[in-house]
Amino acid sequence: MSGRVVSVTLDGLTGRAIEVEADIVGGLPRTVIVGLPDVTVNEARDRCKSAVVNSGAPWPDQRITINLAPSTLPKSGSHYDLAIAMAVIAAQKAVPAEALAGTAFVGELALDGRLRAVPGVLPATLAAAEAGCTHVVVPEVNVPEAELVDGIAVTGVRSLRHLVALMTGEEVPDDPPVPPIEPPAAAPWGSADRLSGLDLADVAGHEDVRLAVLVAAVGGHHLSMVGPPGVGKTMLAQRLPGLLPDLGRQDAIEVSAVHSVAGLLAPDVPLLTRPPFLDPHHTASAAAIVGGGSRQVRPGAMSLAHRGVLFLDEAPEFTVNVLEALRQPLESGRIVVARSARTVVYPARFQLVIAANPCPCGQAATLDSACRCTPAMRRRYGERISGPIRDRIDIRRTLTAPSRPELAATVAAGRRTVELAQRVLEARDRQGSRLAGTPWRTNADVPGTELRKAWPLAEEARVLLDRQLHADKLNPRSADRVLRLAWSVADLHGHDLPGGADVRTALSLRSDLPLDAAMRSLVAA
Amino acid sequence: MNRGESERDRLVLSIATEPLDALARDLVSSHGIAAVAGACRGESGSPHVPEAWVERVALAPVDQVLDAGAAARARWITPAHPAWPAALGDLAGVDDHGAAPWGVWVRGEGPLEVDRAVSVVGARSCTTYGAEVAGDLGADLADRGWTVVSGAAFGIDACAHRGALAVAGRTVAVLACGVDVPYPQAHATLLDRIAHEGWIIAEHPPGSVPHRHRFLTRNRLIAALGAGTVVVEAAPRSGSLNTLRWADRLGRSSMAVPGSVLSQQSGGAHRAVREGEAVLVTSADDVAQELDGLGWSDLGATETLTDDSRRLHATLPREGGVTVGELVVLLDASLRQVRAGLALLERRGHARRADGGWIALGPLPG
Repeated sequence: MSGRVVSVTLDGLTGRAIEVEADIVGGLPRTVIVGLPDVTVNEARDRCKSAVVNSGAPWPDQRITINLAPSTLPKSGSHYDLAIAMAVIAAQKAVPAEALAGTAFVGELALDGRLRAVPGVLPATLAAAEAGCTHVVVPEVNVPEAELVDGIAVTGVRSLRHLVALMTGEEVPDDPPVPPIEPPAAAPWGSADRLSGLDLADVAGHEDVRLAVLVAAVGGHHLSMVGPPGVGKTMLAQRLPGLLPDLGRQDAIEVSAVHSVAGLLAPDVPLLTRPPFLDPHHTASAAAIVGGGSRQVRPGAMSLAHRGVLFLDEAPEFTVNVLEALRQPLESGRIVVARSARTVVYPARFQLVIAANPCPCGQAATLDSACRCTPAMRRRYGERISGPIRDRIDIRRTLTAPSRPELAATVAAGRRTVELAQRVLEARDRQGSRLAGTPWRTNADVPGTELRKAWPLAEEARVLLDRQLHADKLNPRSADRVLRLAWSVADLHGHDLPGGADVRTALSLRSDLPLDAAMRSLVAA
Repeated sequence: MNRGESERDRLVLSIATEPLDALARDLVSSHGIAAVAGACRGESGSPHVPEAWVERVALAPVDQVLDAGAAARARWITPAHPAWPAALGDLAGVDDHGAAPWGVWVRGEGPLEVDRAVSVVGARSCTTYGAEVAGDLGADLADRGWTVVSGAAFGIDACAHRGALAVAGRTVAVLACGVDVPYPQAHATLLDRIAHEGWIIAEHPPGSVPHRHRFLTRNRLIAALGAGTVVVEAAPRSGSLNTLRWADRLGRSSMAVPGSVLSQQSGGAHRAVREGEAVLVTSADDVAQELDGLGWSDLGATETLTDDSRRLHATLPREGGVTVGELVVLLDASLRQVRAGLALLERRGHARRADGGWIALGPLPG
């Protein structure tokens, strides 16, 4: 007697359908699981036995072999429980075989047969749909998450009895609802929610840095801010997500999937539509930021910030291996976590915002400087962010403390985030229609060669850039960065093509020079 | 000829002619103001004047213009008026014909306070840096008791005015149009605030629109009113350099704030320094020091406490807080006096906001 049902295994965010086979043969009563199960999967044996028995179904007093195929793929997690139990029940022909066809099962069992919520239901459902399943059974509380996936029917169940009753057409028992997973208050660095209501107009003064944040939002450019403590770097960084447009459906599902795998998705809001904002503390471990973990591989802050903002406050204080780990995602938009047994790939296309003090004591940039750091100390401090990473940061601003901070708001009132977000949206629309049919979404994504080939600059702007190149003020790679910035400035101004002024503004943004009046008028109220 | 006549005659000239019209000044020097004004009114037996002048006065008779001025709450003052800023008289000596205005319209409460004034001018299209510097300079100068004079244009001008207003200091906007004309339109609110807390002045009749050449002639008034003129950002061909040159001709101190050598917006200021037309200044301290050398000593910390502010301090309770409105009634003073006084006391640490109003702190020095 054998039974066969489908479940899903997750490898990072990409899941694949697996077959769970149960075979009941004569012999000493014993249950074995094969197919590279880890400890959690092995324990499913005992959970399933109790759950099945407590649900009123028999557990055969024979030898039961459970195989998770393909058997070379390591399996981890408690979400196979439901599929294993169903395979055993199916092997006893207790449910009609046709009811099982094309259905994937995901869920953890309690000993009394109730289902428990599991993380990663969204990517699991995506994988099931991709593998051709037409139906997925998940714990009831995970239904909103699974329903985000198109083209697959979702059934939420409260218990094993509940599921069997549905399949055999019996009366559905009245089981208590499934409690949700640990609430995402556990989210270590919070979500975009806590930033709602933050307004760029609240930041007094710093007109040029507010502009830098605006341009960064338009083109998805990485941003670095250097300045003494308490000058407003964090305030400015926290106001960047508010300028970013809502995530598109595809992006929202990707972002939600990462959060689902990390167990950070709230059951009532399964789809994250706002760009995430992650600001890990500088004492965070490499695993927390890159992803990993000793037993279960979890996505780190870099992946949780996918399609959003990763803010490294006090960046030079992060450990070197964390900072160096930025290289790969900055280049490829994904992060590979390699362990001896398996390699997991998580998406990590985030917008990097770095804040740093100018020196260890932080006072170097102030006019009445009390800084006693030696030039060597300052240099070493700055060099903690290595060249390859610094080179990828398009916009750099130095912040100085306003000499009359109490007046800044009255002297230079700023535009509100709602107005500016509208400008960003319009500029993103321009990029969207220009980049339609290409794999890129924002100016920061487009490779320089493509940018130059597909949208050649007007004479004035080109000459300006060439002159900078010839004067060795830019190398070819940084010239591409200036070009991308110039496009963002042009999009912000509503120009069809970056002109000389846009290129000059891009150069100023990159080399920390004052910004012109056309730019000022964008943020000055 | 009584004084009233002369004020009206000068008003006629301001209606009929443009500020630096050489013919008008020639005629006045040979025939006198009353005769030329009479000619403009079309009276017989007076010197011949161009038809256009007569037409202008016919289109805008003096009484009508005075009514328009009254409607805009503006007054016409001439050299004979006690409130006439003597500094404008210095313009009479700079040209063969003299460049002093016939008179000026003043919009704003109380007598014009320009005895200690600094002009701050610069690029309309200023950079973020220029905006910050101009705002700070306006605030710091006003804090030290200087009146900040500028042109209410976009960019540096507006920032300088706002800086002065932010510390409840005194500021004067000199316009190239009528005192009641909100130009630039986007600065209508700013201009109303300046009129309320400071003064707006112009030599053109109310309702006049700005012309390109009027900005240039207006610059001479800005330069004359200030003991010195500071250019914050100016491109090589900026109009602010014209103000700087007027300041130079008037024997006023001309100063320029440096910027980045890569910035086009500072090119004109840098050249002015290099060619010796302006002294380099970086802060209100520098400006004060520069003017000190010309005999304009900066007011010390205790001296700046005016009688008004002392009276205010005596009126303020130690606890409980009174509102600005209540103070206006208690002291029978203007809103502006009260606000300026409070701002001054607050900066010196003698008053602070509490319980929805203001309270006094500590005894006053001196």
